[in-house]
Amino acid sequence: MERRDFIKSLFMSGLAVKLKPEPFPQPPLPELSVAEGESPAVITREALKTLGGMSRFVSRADKVLVKPNIGWDRTPEMAACTNPEVVRALVEMAYEAGAREVIVMDHTINQAKRCYVRSGVQEAARQAGAKVLFAEEQRLKKVALKGEWLKEWSVFQDFLEVDRIINVPVAKVHSLSRVTLGMKNWLGAIGGSRNQLHQRIDQSMVDLAAFFKPSLTVLDAYRILFRNGPQGGRVSDTKLMKTVIAGTDPVAVDAYGATFFDLKPAELLFLKLARDRGLGKSDLEKVRIEKRKV
Amino acid sequence: MKREKSKKYGWLQWLRILSQIIFFSLFFFLFLKTHYPGEDYFKTTVERFFHFDPLLALATIIGSRIVYLALLLSGITLVAALFLGRFVCGWVCPLGTVHQFFSFIFKKAGVLKPKKDDRMTLVPKYLILTIILVAAIFALNLSGYLDPLSLLYRSFAVYVSPLLNLIFSRSGSLAYSVGLKSIGQELGQTLGNLSLNNIFHNALFIGLIFLGVLLLNAWKERFWCRYLCPTGALLGLFSRFNLFKLKIDPNRCIECNLCSIQCETDARPFPAENWRSSECVYCETCAAICPTAAITFPLRWQKEKIKGVNLSRRKVLLTSLTAIFLTPIFKITSSRQRSSPALIRPPGALPEEKFLAKCVKCGECMKVCPTNGLQPALAEAGPEGLWTPVLVPRIGYCEYYCSLCTQVCPTGAIRELTVEEKTQVKIGTAWVNKNRCLPYALGKPCIVCEEHCPVSPKAIQLIRIATVTPEGKIESPLAPFVNVDTCIGCGICENKCPVVDEPAITVSSVGEQRSEKNRLILQVIGEDEPH
Repeated sequence: MERRDFIKSLFMSGLAVKLKPEPFPQPPLPELSVAEGESPAVITREALKTLGGMSRFVSRADKVLVKPNIGWDRTPEMAACTNPEVVRALVEMAYEAGAREVIVMDHTINQAKRCYVRSGVQEAARQAGAKVLFAEEQRLKKVALKGEWLKEWSVFQDFLEVDRIINVPVAKVHSLSRVTLGMKNWLGAIGGSRNQLHQRIDQSMVDLAAFFKPSLTVLDAYRILFRNGPQGGRVSDTKLMKTVIAGTDPVAVDAYGATFFDLKPAELLFLKLARDRGLGKSDLEKVRIEKRKV
Repeated sequence: MKREKSKKYGWLQWLRILSQIIFFSLFFFLFLKTHYPGEDYFKTTVERFFHFDPLLALATIIGSRIVYLALLLSGITLVAALFLGRFVCGWVCPLGTVHQFFSFIFKKAGVLKPKKDDRMTLVPKYLILTIILVAAIFALNLSGYLDPLSLLYRSFAVYVSPLLNLIFSRSGSLAYSVGLKSIGQELGQTLGNLSLNNIFHNALFIGLIFLGVLLLNAWKERFWCRYLCPTGALLGLFSRFNLFKLKIDPNRCIECNLCSIQCETDARPFPAENWRSSECVYCETCAAICPTAAITFPLRWQKEKIKGVNLSRRKVLLTSLTAIFLTPIFKITSSRQRSSPALIRPPGALPEEKFLAKCVKCGECMKVCPTNGLQPALAEAGPEGLWTPVLVPRIGYCEYYCSLCTQVCPTGAIRELTVEEKTQVKIGTAWVNKNRCLPYALGKPCIVCEEHCPVSPKAIQLIRIATVTPEGKIESPLAPFVNVDTCIGCGICENKCPVVDEPAITVSSVGEQRSEKNRLILQVIGEDEPH
């Protein structure tokens, strides 16, 4: 090779390196995605797509536990339990992302079988291929929660044996914590005297939320319960919001959920405690939120 | 002469055993099926067996003066008895099958040795029947204590169901503990599906009676059927034609007496003219074991008389008189005058008097209750109300959208209700005990009762109260206040109250809709009208 050619080629290759197209600068993914629309399933999918897709949370061969609120023997129109279509969409998406097994369960308040049937969650989740399990007393295990108040508590081992947990609460009012959203949903993952947690409900919720650490929280606000919570009883106790909020920050999800009830996140004690505990952001101004309408 | 057993009757005996197995399995299958089926209404009549029981039909219809249509099916049993004798006892009755089985076991074990000439009188069951029927005339229904189906189902519901639950859950946790997770899960989930109730106060009492009755088979074969069963006695009285007559071929008979010794019910096949047709359950044992096949049951039309049972007019009369004197004793109870606060009846239960006249203490409602809340009463309802269902909220509450107990009641003591109707029925009223309620007594937050109240708008409302602590601090938690008009008395508040030993909110029967006396707020018609 002649010197000139060599220099030329050196120059060209240097140029090639220099001109190699830079990766397109992507905006950072949102921490919270809010999807609004007519179909609970479609907005659930949209909310996840906006958040970067289910594959961001579920890897191949993962065992996933989807934890809806199926606490009450109520139909979806009563908005006491998570919308079955939201659960169905999540189970489907988890399988699409390559999950090995998806479990759906809750520790109900009314007779478990009734809640599973009337809420419609059992059927929807089964159709999507999930294993729907009753919470079994004998699967309870005392676990060190290392909470501020709850040092140890009995937890269903099913929650400890999975790779990923997806929390799917429904937005409702509650007389003590004022609203029940994602963090309060953890009362359905534990056994023991749950009714005694009310003596310090906000701290309990935060202690549990700090322990369970979901990969993803999807708040069902398709139909919210604004009165007579947390189980309602009449359709007139509910309001259609047609919204699903998905997020990686459980505190931010609950903070956003509070706004449906005309509450400022700052008014809620559990959000403050959760923020101070470092579980997430309660100030929505500081959260990257992306809204979609479908 | 060649000695050879009858092949035909050998087969017939097997057929009888098969029939017993089938009917018992059906009974057990329906028993297991008596739980929340995954929808609001049963598609099968799980309580069907009871409708074919003529004793229950007679006692409840006479006792309550109300004809419950389904019970008329028992007419079929009576007509069958008229022409076929007590074959129902031998071929169909599930309790008879249980007794037969245990007698068989005791015989094989050498504990039960049938005697040649048993002198024990068969009269008691007829006298028991007399007492039940006479009491029914005086509106007292005693059939539930000793009716075979009631006894069996009650024992199963209150005693066997907890045992099954124990077996399932123990083997489930065993499987989990040795690492067989899928088996443990299978068992645990099955248990969640079957909801086998496992807590019954006085289960031991009912269970011991059941075991006692089974143990009697070690003394006499089918002891219960021979001496005690009032339904068997009733069918015996109806055995008037018995188309199949026992016949012993005198040329073949070697008078070994084996037939009479081995007779399940002491019907004395030998000699044939003394055969007690009203005691024969057509088990075919005698014909099958006869070493010379001398016994047959050919078809013949002839009226039958009750033989071998010394049922004198005097005895029946005396027993009837006893029953007449017994009736008021059963009815002398304070609950007639003033309702017991603990006597919370299931929704749809008839007014107490009619309810007691109809309830046969079978335990169907206790088996089906999804929360285990329906319990066999001990003293709450007086002597005649022993083992009738009573809701004990501390054990289980009345599930809001459930009307299953009203669907399975075989006699209509609990009126059938739709779920919609049931949610409107008030069975009692909740009362807050401020001395124990956390906000009132300790100034601590709670609201658990309010949260669980299924009525909308909630019957438990919250008020802001002020509780002064010893430090002089004024706590102002939210505290429950019961709206007695909308409270339906379901008892979920009592059940979920965190003050576990003696809940701070308790339901009592007052205000129950079915009673005209046990009312709380007097509602005078026209009160709200303008003057």
